[in-house]
Amino acid sequence: MVVRVEYDYVNARIKGMKSRLLAPPVFESLILKPDVESIIAELENTSYKEEIERATVQYSGMKCIEVALRNDFTNAFRKILGFMKGGDSEKYINILLSRWDIQNIKTILRGKNIHMTSAEIVECLVPAGQLDNTTLIELIRQPDVKAVIDLLATWGIEYAKPLTRNFKEYSEKRDLSILEYAIDKFYYENALEKSGEDSYDDRIILDMITTEIDVTNIKNVLKMIRDKIGIEEAEPFLIKGGITLDIEKLLSMLRSGTLEGAIKVLDATPYKFLSELPADVFKTEKISVFEKELEKYLIKRGIRRFLGDPLSIAVAVGYVWAKYNEITNIRIIARCKTADITEKEIREELIYV
Amino acid sequence: MVDWGIPIGVGIAFGLGALGTGYAQSKIGSAGAGTIAERPETFGLMVVLVAIPETMVILGFVVAAMMMIMLV
Repeated sequence: MVVRVEYDYVNARIKGMKSRLLAPPVFESLILKPDVESIIAELENTSYKEEIERATVQYSGMKCIEVALRNDFTNAFRKILGFMKGGDSEKYINILLSRWDIQNIKTILRGKNIHMTSAEIVECLVPAGQLDNTTLIELIRQPDVKAVIDLLATWGIEYAKPLTRNFKEYSEKRDLSILEYAIDKFYYENALEKSGEDSYDDRIILDMITTEIDVTNIKNVLKMIRDKIGIEEAEPFLIKGGITLDIEKLLSMLRSGTLEGAIKVLDATPYKFLSELPADVFKTEKISVFEKELEKYLIKRGIRRFLGDPLSIAVAVGYVWAKYNEITNIRIIARCKTADITEKEIREELIYV
Repeated sequence: MVDWGIPIGVGIAFGLGALGTGYAQSKIGSAGAGTIAERPETFGLMVVLVAIPETMVILGFVVAAMMMIMLV
């Protein structure tokens, strides 16, 4: 039975959770710590205390931080899902969290494709979606890409459909991007279909999905331009439904043939900020810099949802992105400490919203 | 002949105030419960916030009582 979710209760809890997110001074003190061990000690004074203590029993150093962050992230989302279980807004939160299912499946496929060990793949997973830790570990145990897809199909998990349909092409070309694109496309089409556009909640979710489609398309187009992929070959990899960029605009980016030309097409769109990147980024064709800027844009847009109607899904959307941002920032700081990167450079890498 | 005007006015003054209070307290109460679940230290503040809409029904009662005493 579908029950109308009382947003007053749910959103009060989410706002309570938001109040425990780390404030900028805490990040500043983490940046100033000399090594990973002192970052762990500092995190023990924050809301990560419980997970850090649990992780330190088994692990130390970077691995301890990774495990603690991953568990905290997963628990936070499972908690929100628990508040909304059985309510009509459960579908919205499921759409949001499915993003991590897709990311996890892609990670496992990538790992299997390049024969990574199970332990290495587990480190990269974020079991925040509907596929829990046990399911993901069972998938990782499979010997190859085909076995992973077969197991997904045996369990009746919907993501098996696009993978099975495109497996033949993948096995002929040995190009994993075929499977990655297929599952991405399936996710976005499914999310658009489920979200609708009637209510305020629908529009909030729709806005986030269509923005993500834009961001994914821009990233793909830039990579295809760098790799000098022809328009005929590239066109099937574009995803329909972006908020600002339709297929025609994406094709005109591809036609320009250079990164500068492609970014110029974005001049009259909210993605104009990409043209303000330093000239050497264009010269060296560093796509990762563009990807990072786009990711920042997406996170900022997500977190701005907090300013929407306080009795709507907007608060949950804002929290999901704020939590993701926080975890990403802590990870950046810890990893930079292991790589001896200066404090100034760490500050530049972080995403403050 | 019975004058129904005053009893009806009294009923409206008290009844609407009570309905308004009930609605406000249901919303503040559920949000307060959510807040206390996450941050138990806010319990005292939440009790005060839940009690604030009581003023509406008290004012309604005062107006109703004044109508009864002064007009009847």
